[in-house]
Amino acid sequence: MNELISVAAATELIRRGVPLSLAGPAAALRQLPPGRWIGGTIPYFMVATGGAVVEDDRLFATDLSSAGVEVRFACYGPDELARITAEAPDNGFSLTIIPAGGQALRHFAHDAADYTDAFVKPTVGWISGIHLRDLGQAKPLVFDGQTGQAHEDGAVVAHVRIADDQLASVEIVNIFEPGDGEVLHFDETGFEVGECTVGGRRMRLLDYLDSVGAADGRLPLVGDFAGAHVNVSVQALNGPEGQVSLYAPVFPGVDYRLARPVPDYAAAFRARLAEYDASGAAFSCNCILNFLFGELEGKAIGGVEGPVTFGEIAYQLLNQTMVVVRLQ
Amino acid sequence: MATPTPPISHPCWLRLANGSFNRLQTQHLGTQLMVKRMERSPAPAAAKAAEIHQFFSKWERVLVAELAQIPSL
Repeated sequence: MNELISVAAATELIRRGVPLSLAGPAAALRQLPPGRWIGGTIPYFMVATGGAVVEDDRLFATDLSSAGVEVRFACYGPDELARITAEAPDNGFSLTIIPAGGQALRHFAHDAADYTDAFVKPTVGWISGIHLRDLGQAKPLVFDGQTGQAHEDGAVVAHVRIADDQLASVEIVNIFEPGDGEVLHFDETGFEVGECTVGGRRMRLLDYLDSVGAADGRLPLVGDFAGAHVNVSVQALNGPEGQVSLYAPVFPGVDYRLARPVPDYAAAFRARLAEYDASGAAFSCNCILNFLFGELEGKAIGGVEGPVTFGEIAYQLLNQTMVVVRLQ
Repeated sequence: MATPTPPISHPCWLRLANGSFNRLQTQHLGTQLMVKRMERSPAPAAAKAAEIHQFFSKWERVLVAELAQIPSL
């Protein structure tokens, strides 16, 4: 199950002991009884009919019993995130939800790729958010279903052990490619960038983005991780000393380029997903910036249904990327 | 026929740990990110070699093309 259901239906599943990962408005999540579930706030979803904004009593439910032979739930503080992989099953995946804006997100984004067993025991998941209308008024939350308690910081995790003859394949669908511009290098890991090196010259990232007509922040930087394209999206370009704020950190030792423009997000996703084998998909999410900049509300793109999120996790934090975990 | 993961005692793992991992051709996301992790890691070569061996042992079934490259890297 990967679909929108009513609070009443989710309550019934929880009472039956079905292990669930849930996404939806805080008011809906607060109505659920304690049980075997994790949840995160978000009102945006990609469903079969296209992008949808849900503000009623529906929740997006992923039934983890169909993926795993054993599901254990956990809740970790911002300084305990290395326990996600430490306590993960030897064969499976750890579906993780972290709220936007907290220390947990910063710690995870900074360190996840360096956790012991990070690429042997995969972490996948998403960053919870809020309706954009409520920015500055509401806080993204995660819910530990074992207690029903909401948290503004930390991580809630469903450790899903899968059958011995299966493997959890973590895959991404990224419509962005590095453009033809100069290579950018950064001195240190961070979400805020002042100066960087652009084609061997020192300059402010802000000035570089302005000089190439990218000061609207719509195009991500694309990092080259041994051929994998890892996006870093621009949050704001108005730091007090000309810093650029990013939704994910940049790392030293990685070549970055500004992404090539994508004229039609929906068409680009449809083309990529048409050739993508989603068989065995257990979970998927896509990025709020793709939803917004691609104007995906009401536009069907295919692929797997799931929440539209404030960040995506495929081993480490990603931006503007669709993430899928498939069982093979 | 698939190439089995060589034992940890095989010299290929130290070669990979000492830099040849970067020459692996792969489209597998986890492997790509693992290559970058190893490139950025300050760990001793022996520790990296053990980690790379553990990685291939886990994902052997889906890294057939990658394992086939290892003897020549």
